[in-house]
Amino acid sequence: MVQASKRAALLLAAAVLLIATAACQLTSPGQPQWNDPSVPRSRWGTAPVFTPARASFGQAVREFIGRRPTEVAQPFPFSHQIHLSKGAVCTDCHTGVETGPRAGIPGLNTCMICHSQIATDKPLIQQITKMQEQGLDMNWNRVYSYFPESHVRFEHAPHIRAKVECSNCHGTQIEQTVARRAVDMDMGFCVNCHKQKQASNDCLTCHY
Amino acid sequence: MDRRNFIKLTAITGTSAALTACGSPENQIIRFIPEDDLAPGVATWKPSICPLCSAGCGVIARVMDGDAEVFRNGQAGVIRMGLAKKLEGNPEDAISQGKLCARGQAAIQVTYHPDRIGNPRILAGLRGQSGYSDLTWADAIKGLIAQLDKLAAANDHGSVAFLTRPGHSRRLELIADILQRFGAKPPVTYELFSDDVLRQANAISFGSHQLPTYDLANARYVISFGADFLGTWNSAVAHSAAYGRMRQGQKGMRPKFVHVDARLSQTAANADEFVACRPGTEGLLALAIAGDETPQKASERTGVPVATIERIKREFATFGPSMAIIGGAPLAHTNGLFQASAVNRLNEVAKTVNQPGGISFATASSRVPTRPLKEILDNPPKLLFIDGVNPVFGSPGAWKVADALNKIPFIVSFGSFIDETSALANLILPDHSFLESWVDAAPESGSAKAAPSKFGPVMRPLYDTRSTPDVLLEVAKGLVKPLTGLPNTFEEYLNQEAKASKPVPSPKPQAPGPLQFAEPVFDGDASQFPYHFMPYASQGLYDGSLAHLPWLQEMPDPMTSGMWCSWVEINEQKARELGIEQGDLIEITSTQGSVRAPAFLNPGIAPDAVAMPVGQGHTNFTRYATNRGVNPISILAPATIAETGTLAWSATRVKIARVGDPDRESLILFGGATRERPDWTHGRGDEH
Repeated sequence: MVQASKRAALLLAAAVLLIATAACQLTSPGQPQWNDPSVPRSRWGTAPVFTPARASFGQAVREFIGRRPTEVAQPFPFSHQIHLSKGAVCTDCHTGVETGPRAGIPGLNTCMICHSQIATDKPLIQQITKMQEQGLDMNWNRVYSYFPESHVRFEHAPHIRAKVECSNCHGTQIEQTVARRAVDMDMGFCVNCHKQKQASNDCLTCHY
Repeated sequence: MDRRNFIKLTAITGTSAALTACGSPENQIIRFIPEDDLAPGVATWKPSICPLCSAGCGVIARVMDGDAEVFRNGQAGVIRMGLAKKLEGNPEDAISQGKLCARGQAAIQVTYHPDRIGNPRILAGLRGQSGYSDLTWADAIKGLIAQLDKLAAANDHGSVAFLTRPGHSRRLELIADILQRFGAKPPVTYELFSDDVLRQANAISFGSHQLPTYDLANARYVISFGADFLGTWNSAVAHSAAYGRMRQGQKGMRPKFVHVDARLSQTAANADEFVACRPGTEGLLALAIAGDETPQKASERTGVPVATIERIKREFATFGPSMAIIGGAPLAHTNGLFQASAVNRLNEVAKTVNQPGGISFATASSRVPTRPLKEILDNPPKLLFIDGVNPVFGSPGAWKVADALNKIPFIVSFGSFIDETSALANLILPDHSFLESWVDAAPESGSAKAAPSKFGPVMRPLYDTRSTPDVLLEVAKGLVKPLTGLPNTFEEYLNQEAKASKPVPSPKPQAPGPLQFAEPVFDGDASQFPYHFMPYASQGLYDGSLAHLPWLQEMPDPMTSGMWCSWVEINEQKARELGIEQGDLIEITSTQGSVRAPAFLNPGIAPDAVAMPVGQGHTNFTRYATNRGVNPISILAPATIAETGTLAWSATRVKIARVGDPDRESLILFGGATRERPDWTHGRGDEH
C-alpha cells in the first residue's frame, strides 16, 4: 500500500514537471518558437516574444508557493547600522518615501553626495567611486516587495504622513548591516496595524 | 496522496526551484547609474505624436521608472530610468481627441523591439552577401562626409537623393532645406496606399491639393465609395470620433450611412446599407446619384439596380447635409482621377463643401516639393538616403526596385530595423524612436482647423542612436564647404518660427463641366484572369510597415479574425461552386506571377473578386515578420494612374486554383467567420 502511494506521488511529480515543461513551450499559434534556432535570443537570453512570464521555471515556482528568502544576497556589504549611527535618517537616501508610493533604492550618485568627501580612504568607498566614474551602479536585490498575484497597491507616502515609523514594517535598521527582511508583511500584519490605527480595512484600500 | 507524500512533493519542487535560482542572470548583469530626476513609482504623462501613419495623432505616454536594457559607452547593461509604459490619445489634441487606434496603441513596441538596431553599422563586404559590423558615430559621420565631399568635389551634387514617406512635417521641410542647400534635388517620396490622386482631384475641383476633413458629426446622409475611414484610411481616429457623434450625437435622428464597394470592409460593416458595385465604376454611380448620368446607364456598368440608384439619389438630395467620401480601392484604378472627380462633383451637388456636415479643407501648411520614386528607378543616384520607407517590399515586383537600388554605389539607411530595403544599405545610422526624439506633425486632415504640433522627447534614448535631422545637420556642417544658414539642432529648428516658404501652386479649380466616364483598364484578360484582385490595407499591419510589431500580428482582423498569417478572401458561394473549402491552399496567378495562401470563405466579397490583406510576406523584417505569409503586392501589375504616376493597385486581374488541402498552420483564425451577408448584384459569373 505504501509502495503504491509512493509510486503515485512520484508519478504525480513527474506529471507536474512534464506539464510545466510543456506549458513553457505553448505560445500563441504562429509565434516564433523557443526552440527555433533561427530566432535570435534577446541579449539576456530571455524569451523571443514579449511575455509577462517569469524569467525561469524556478522563479515561477518560488512565487507560486510564496517562498521568499529572509536573507537577500547583495553585491556590496552596505551597512545600514553604520550610516544610521552617524546620524543619517532613512529619508536621506530613500527619497521617494515621503512623496510617492515607493521608497526607492538609491543609486550610486546618491552615495557619492557624501562619499565624494567622507571616508574616501576606505577600500569599499574607493570601489564605489571607481564604479561611479565608469557610470556603473550596484545591482541591488530587492528585500521587500509584494507578489504580483496578491494585487497589492502599497503607497509609502500616506503611511509616513500618518507617522508610522519605518521600523514598524522594516525592523530596526540600526541593528542591521545589510538589510534583511525583518518583518513578514502578510495580510494579517497589515490588517492588525490598520485596526490599531483605525485606518480603513476596506479591500480596495490596499488591493486592486 | 497522504500528507507525507504531499510534503515530499513540495520539498522536491522547492529544491528544484532553489536550484534553478542559482546562477540567476539578474545577479550578473551590468547596471548603470540611474537617472537622478526619477520619482520612484510615480507616473507622469508626456505628450508626443504617433508616427505609424500620416494622420499625426497626438498621444500621451505614461512614463514611470523601470529597468531597461540599454547601451551606454559601448556596453550593454540595465539602467533604471523613466520609461514610456503606455500610449493613449491626447485629449488636448485636435486630431486624436483623446482616442487612439489599435496601431497607435502598439506604437510603444517600436521603442522596445528586441530587433531594434542600437548603434551605427557598416556593410562588412558585398551588399546582400555580407553582414554588418558596428562602428562609432564619429567614424560613421566621417565616412558619410567623405562620400558627400567626393560628390561635391566632382560637382555632382545632383547625384544625392533622399527617399522617405510623404507627409506634412517640419522634419521633412528641414530635410528638403538641407538637400536644397547642398544642391541636390527635392526628396523622393513613396507610399503604397498613396492618396495623391484624390489630392490632385481636390486641387482641380476645389483648389486644395490635400485630403479633406469630413464633418461626419453634422452630416445626415453619408455615402462612402470604398473609403475605410473608420479603419485605415485618412485620419481614422478623428473620423471614427466624428462618426460616433454622427451616430449618437444628433438628437431625435439617426443619420444614414451607405457604403459602396466590392468587398465588405470594417467600415462597410458599420453602414446601414451596403451597395455592391463593380470595381472601377464607382465614379459612374456617383455621377448618377449627382444627376449627371442616367440611372439606367450607370446600372448597366456598375451592376447596381436602377431602383437602388434612384432611391439613393432621392435620399441624398432630400436628407441633407449630405456628403460623399472616396478612398481606398476605387481611387486605385487607372481611372482614379475620374472616380475622385465624380465624387467631388457629388459633393458640389450636395452644396456642403466647406459647410457643416460636408467636406472641408484645413488651412494648408506649406507643401514640400517632392519627386516620385520613378525618378530614382530610372536614374539611380550615386548616394541615396533612405528614411522610414520600404519600397522593395511595398511595390510591384515588376518595378524591380531592388535591382535599381543595387545599382546605387552608396546607400545610407536611417531605419531602426533591418527590412528588405534597408538591407541594401552600406551604412545604417539608426534614428531614435519617436519617444526619444523631438517630433512634429502638421496633419493635412482630421481637423477643420490646422493643428500643427511639436513635442520634445518623452524618455531618454535606450541605445546608441541619434536623431536623423540632427545627424544630417552635423554632416552638413562637417563638409569641406559647410552648408550655412542651418540651425544647430532639430530642436532649435522646431522652435524657430516656420518660414513662409513658397507654397507649391495648386491648379486653379476647373469650371464645372460634364465629366465623362473613363473606363478602368485592368491588367490581364478577363477570360483568362476572371477575378478582380483586391489587396487591402490590413487593420493591424497597414501596408506591411507594421508587421514587425507582435501585438499587431496577434490582433485578429476585425472581419475575418485572421492573425499571424495571410489569407485569400473568396466569395463563399463561388468557392463552393469551385470545390474550395475554408483553409484550402489557393494559388493566385496574375500576369506578373503567383502567390499561395489559404482560402477564407467570405460572404462579404463579390463573386468575381478575391481579396488579400497587405502586410505579410516579408523576407527580411525582424523575427516576427520574416517568412510569414505572402506579399500580394509582389504580383500586382505595374499599372499606374496616368495623371499622378502613382500605383493603380486595384487594376490587376487574377485566376485562382486550388492546389492543396488545408494544413493546421497556414490559416490562423481567432474566432468564427464573417456574419454579414451582402446581396451581390453583379459578378455572379454570368458576365465572363
